[in-house]
Amino acid sequence: MSTKQLGMSKYTRRQFLKFSGAATAAGAASVLSINDIAEAAITRPLPAGTPILVVVTLYGGNDGLNTVIPYKDSAYYAARPTLNYKPETLLPLTDDMALNASMTGIKSLWDQQKVAIVRGVGYPKPDHSHFSSMAIWQTASPQTHLNTGWLGRWLDNQAVDPMLAISLGSVLPPLLAGATQSGSALPIGGLAIPNGAIGKACLRLSAVSQKDSKLTAAAATSMRNLFNLSSSVTPVLSQAAPVADDLPTVAGGNAGGDSNLTQQLNVVAKLIAAGAPTKVWSVSLGGFDTHANEANAQAALLGTVSSSISKFLSQMKASGRSKDITVMVYSEFGRRVKANGSDGTDHGTSGPMFLIGDRVQGGMYGDQPSLTKLVDGDLTVTTDFRDVYSSVIESVLLSPAEKVLGPWSGRVKTFKAV
Amino acid sequence: MDLRRLETARLYSRFGFGPRPGEYAQALKAGVAATKQNLLNPPQIDSGAVALPIVTDLGKRPEPNTPEVITFARQMRLQSEAIEIWWLDQMVATNKPLQEKMVWFWHGHWATSIGKVNYPAPMLQQNQTFRKYALGNFNDFAKAMFMDGALQIWLDGGDNTVKAPNENFSREMMELFLLGVNRYSETDVKELARAFTGYQVSRSTGAITFNANRRDTKSVTILSKSAVMSPEDAVTHLVSQPNCAQFIAERIWFRFVSSQTPLPAGHPMIASFAGREIAPLLSTLVNGADLANPQYEMVKSPVEWFIGVCRALGLTPSKLDSFTKLHGYLDKLSQIPFSPPNVGGWPADEAWLSSASAQFRITFATWLVGQADLSAITEQVPAARAAYLADLLAVPEWSPRTSFALREVRGVIPRLVILAICSPEYVVSS
Repeated sequence: MSTKQLGMSKYTRRQFLKFSGAATAAGAASVLSINDIAEAAITRPLPAGTPILVVVTLYGGNDGLNTVIPYKDSAYYAARPTLNYKPETLLPLTDDMALNASMTGIKSLWDQQKVAIVRGVGYPKPDHSHFSSMAIWQTASPQTHLNTGWLGRWLDNQAVDPMLAISLGSVLPPLLAGATQSGSALPIGGLAIPNGAIGKACLRLSAVSQKDSKLTAAAATSMRNLFNLSSSVTPVLSQAAPVADDLPTVAGGNAGGDSNLTQQLNVVAKLIAAGAPTKVWSVSLGGFDTHANEANAQAALLGTVSSSISKFLSQMKASGRSKDITVMVYSEFGRRVKANGSDGTDHGTSGPMFLIGDRVQGGMYGDQPSLTKLVDGDLTVTTDFRDVYSSVIESVLLSPAEKVLGPWSGRVKTFKAV
Repeated sequence: MDLRRLETARLYSRFGFGPRPGEYAQALKAGVAATKQNLLNPPQIDSGAVALPIVTDLGKRPEPNTPEVITFARQMRLQSEAIEIWWLDQMVATNKPLQEKMVWFWHGHWATSIGKVNYPAPMLQQNQTFRKYALGNFNDFAKAMFMDGALQIWLDGGDNTVKAPNENFSREMMELFLLGVNRYSETDVKELARAFTGYQVSRSTGAITFNANRRDTKSVTILSKSAVMSPEDAVTHLVSQPNCAQFIAERIWFRFVSSQTPLPAGHPMIASFAGREIAPLLSTLVNGADLANPQYEMVKSPVEWFIGVCRALGLTPSKLDSFTKLHGYLDKLSQIPFSPPNVGGWPADEAWLSSASAQFRITFATWLVGQADLSAITEQVPAARAAYLADLLAVPEWSPRTSFALREVRGVIPRLVILAICSPEYVVSS
């Protein structure tokens, strides 16, 4: 598919990280090798039954209205005369809501009551800039600029452990940046250490120096981390992936698009199965900035999201950890209700969030924003994302939400009572 | 820290792409004031200028599975490579370092990627516009950028019509190009989109045509001013806002002084931009006190690092043994000219310092040093080599850690040079 057909500026996680400079309040983040994780998995595996959170960030602003679709609302068809879906092509969830046809994997999980959909999620005074809005979601601070992420602040309250929260990719998202402790980044391809004489010389060059400034210290640290590998552990990733015995065999689940999310979740699956002492994983998929010719592009991306998550959860069954896992899916904003003239949609406000897993009480949560009572052409926000974060912190991370979000009373009842 | 060495090093590595052999030592003798004068008053003509590559109108993409599409794809690739290597050569060869550094700055400011534009012709045309206005009048520059084919394609300008406005271009014009985020309302974005309607762009040439049927001819209200505005009127109105001077000063500060510390309130750059002339703003910064403040360190971006190495070691990008390898290294380090990651431009500082990039930088450096003539370094007595390299690379001083590492390998010249250019002191502009 050419860029013209996609008709979008390909806004991805990598781009956000680059734009935001991926500020890590705790300085240069650790970059882990597979060996580091494998060693930790063997020497101190995550105790069985410990809940695990997998955060899936959709970069670019996912069009919520064409994801969880109010398919009986005439206002939906009126606002999008050439960018709507015919009811019979959709996957009905309730009397009035249906899922995009490409999301068969998540539909099957919905039927097993493992999917909570929280509708109309956002924050006050929505910001239409990708960069600002993603920063707000990741820092969980709509009013003031913070340089720590909400999961980074959760990390600040845990014992120091670079394995506790891991993001796939070579750069850490602000989400996992804490004030005293940040999450770690895991490049998908892994890292190779320079060896021989040049390796030895570089190791000397990366030593700590009293005279280092903040940035020269960070440069030295980034090189030193290259060498923080254990050669005694066989890389987990060279082993076969966990067996998925009940993969859905529905066609069209992954019609092209970026398949990198599948790879990321595949790595996460292997590492969880190996017993990595990690409670939070962060993965992402970009390309949702569908200003033009949206339908095919978005369907392909949603198909990837759906199939990779359902495959991941299937893989986890074999490991015995599937009941411990909760997957959370969000994007920085939804899109304008009315389609633009290019069969796409411009930046909007609220959108649906997904919580998926055995601990989740399946069903619809939050009110569906009205398609007729709009604010400047945009959907209203019916649930604050901090309600969802609070519940996730308490029910999945088993931690007090106040230390992360301050006093915040809103909650969603998306989790089963323990 | 020797402040004279520090400030002189910054003049070379931040306001240019690093010194050629001998330049830094000579500048230290001439003094900081003379070095600033040289930087701000370059020769009229760039004697180092590299001839422009030949880029043709490749026309519409032929149908799939035809012989024509193969020729077309090959031409697209060759011409895209040609503009990339041309610019890299130009950055190395230039004798007007500030001018070239500003072209690079504006490329990151009006960040447009060939990833979506596809055709090299509009990208090269945009680069020529950056050259024309690099240190010129910002209002003329901004008006020219509205009519820039590559930018119009990049931000869906051709899709913006009276019937269905597309806000992509108008939002970025205010957020990222002229004013800065939150210095306008959502209504302003919508109104500016209306003022921008009616233009169509040829993808293969970037030529822009006006289509009256698509034009919204009604009055618009932008930042409290209501009128029927042409795009030029609207751009001029935005550029005349005090926030425009604030914003451009902030962006210059972010790229040339510090991405860690915000622009101090009321910085003199803002006042010197009153006439919207870019050159006086740069002079004010160069002649001010900030460059002698050790606190303002920055990480060199991968292209800045690479061009600096080429200038110091006498390498020419187009003469390296493989374009594919060169492109691959720049790609792994995440910075390729004409391919910024998004409309917000390149990242800064710690974003360039992952372990993955440390690894790629070492292999890249090894490849480059293997192709360089190192005899000038070999001629130095071993004990003088580290100091010689500090001057060659405009490094104000080596830390004890790096001095020790360099001393251990000073008898093996290629290894010594690899270590020097991968050292924290060279990767970071102190």
